[in-house]
Amino acid sequence: MSALRMPRVATLQLKPWRSKGWGRIAFLVITSVLMLVPMYLLVVSAFKSQQDILAHPFSVSPDQLTTEYLKKAATNPDFNILKGYAVTILFVVSVNVLSVALAGPVSYVIARRGERRYRMLLLLFVAGTFIPSQVLVIPVVYTLKFLGLMGTIPGFVLFETTLTLPFSIFLYAGYIMTIPASLDEAAAVDGAGKHRVFWSIVFPLMKPAVVTMVILNTFSVWNDFVNPQIILGPGSGLYTVTTGVYAAVSQYSTDYTVVFPTLLLAVAPLLVIFVLLQKHVISGLTAGATKG
Amino acid sequence: MRARLTTISMVGPALVLFVVMLVIPVGLSLYLSLTDWDGYSANPAIVGLKNYVNLTHSAEAIRAGWVTLLIAAVGTVLLSVLGLGFALLVNGASRLNAFFRIVLFYPHVLSALVVGFLWSAVLGTSGVVNGWLTSKGAEVLPFLSNPNWALASLIGVLVWAGFGVNVVLYLAGLQTVSRDLLEAARIDGASSRQTFFDVTLPALAPVVTVNLVLSLVTLLKTYDLVVSLTGGGPAGSTQTAAYLILWDSFHNNALGFGSAQSVVLMVITAGLALTVARLRSRADQGVRA
Repeated sequence: MSALRMPRVATLQLKPWRSKGWGRIAFLVITSVLMLVPMYLLVVSAFKSQQDILAHPFSVSPDQLTTEYLKKAATNPDFNILKGYAVTILFVVSVNVLSVALAGPVSYVIARRGERRYRMLLLLFVAGTFIPSQVLVIPVVYTLKFLGLMGTIPGFVLFETTLTLPFSIFLYAGYIMTIPASLDEAAAVDGAGKHRVFWSIVFPLMKPAVVTMVILNTFSVWNDFVNPQIILGPGSGLYTVTTGVYAAVSQYSTDYTVVFPTLLLAVAPLLVIFVLLQKHVISGLTAGATKG
Repeated sequence: MRARLTTISMVGPALVLFVVMLVIPVGLSLYLSLTDWDGYSANPAIVGLKNYVNLTHSAEAIRAGWVTLLIAAVGTVLLSVLGLGFALLVNGASRLNAFFRIVLFYPHVLSALVVGFLWSAVLGTSGVVNGWLTSKGAEVLPFLSNPNWALASLIGVLVWAGFGVNVVLYLAGLQTVSRDLLEAARIDGASSRQTFFDVTLPALAPVVTVNLVLSLVTLLKTYDLVVSLTGGGPAGSTQTAAYLILWDSFHNNALGFGSAQSVVLMVITAGLALTVARLRSRADQGVRA
């Protein structure tokens, strides 16, 4: 019924759309510049002297650039950045492995069993998302002391894994519900146990949800500051990238030849990962959110 | 019997860890908030609700509470409005839009600690912007050295670093808006303003809820950025609740008092998040009715 009227409307709308289009792009270009200025300053200032940074912050004169300060930051005795990367990667990998190993099976049980107590179990886990982790860290210190795990790598990894459980279980359980139960019933008839059914039939089908969670957990473990700072503590000598940056930068906050190169070394790996994986990051975040 | 053992072996490990590292600590927080513990003494005395009463008299804690609520309220509004606005601007599958999305989102990947140090180098008294202003013969601006400016700078940086997430969430929501309805509205001669308010916005209702709750919960626990951008200053003007809780607990050794503040923050966070979710779900139903 509207087929006759449609073309006319379309031609009417074309013109204002185009003129609006240029305004839109100009506005977005200006916004992008504003978004990128701090990153531009971070990158160029890492190669400049203090005097050059303060006198000509925005301009770059190629003959004055030097990698001296970057080298100094990389070999800073207060904070060995390579060790920082290694420690952080160890934490990221352990938390991710443990998180999947623990959240996967429990989500499977919650998704496949309709009883009230399993719905309550899901609610219990999800309630964990409302608890600010900075608030939690104080009593956790005493729980870890009681267990003899305070200041240790296992203690930190276990706590950090716990923080990933609420959202992981929520996401995984929701995702498993979209996988037909007839698949695992067939495998069960063939004599596979529950664990076997989960890990070899259901788990491979959960890949998109798992990838999302791994990416989100990687960013949150890498960027966490308060938990490693308090649980590992300065006394343990274990620095992650963020606690190392804090140790290296906070005392010298006005010596920009320390600040900028150190910050650049801290963010470079994450930015590279983000640029390579940006599609997964953005779509993963989207998947996680619309199901919430 | 065997089936039950299997279920226990699948649920047990996650549940035990969750209870030991989260449920028990929350209970411990409640208990500690009723004591005068300093973190060392073996037998802290139970003081009842004294810490909570002291909380209502503590000018510092009350200010931190208001600062936190202000950050959460102003920040949530800005994040949601900018998030939706920019989502509408970069919606559509062009390469240019994909680039803009990455640029708007990237600060979220950086740790808040690094973001704070970076912006303090940009906005500090002897920082990049003021250095540049001085070289042009202009006055230095007190971005981080005047209490009001510092709070505004803190909120500004939080928004700069965070609104990309809201853009992405709204973009996801925009995919769920019915094309048929949009087309029908266009055919019926609805202006783009009418289409937005009568078709797009109602369809986005659930995403609006997710955005509001997520922003609120995140902003109420603002901590890392305070440490690296302002250090709580000048004169305590940017101390947030999370900042003061950790300060009182670990620097002042007032663990009982810190725990009472934690409990209040937990209750307020859960209360506000649930209230927003409930109000929004009523709004969603109103739209459907």
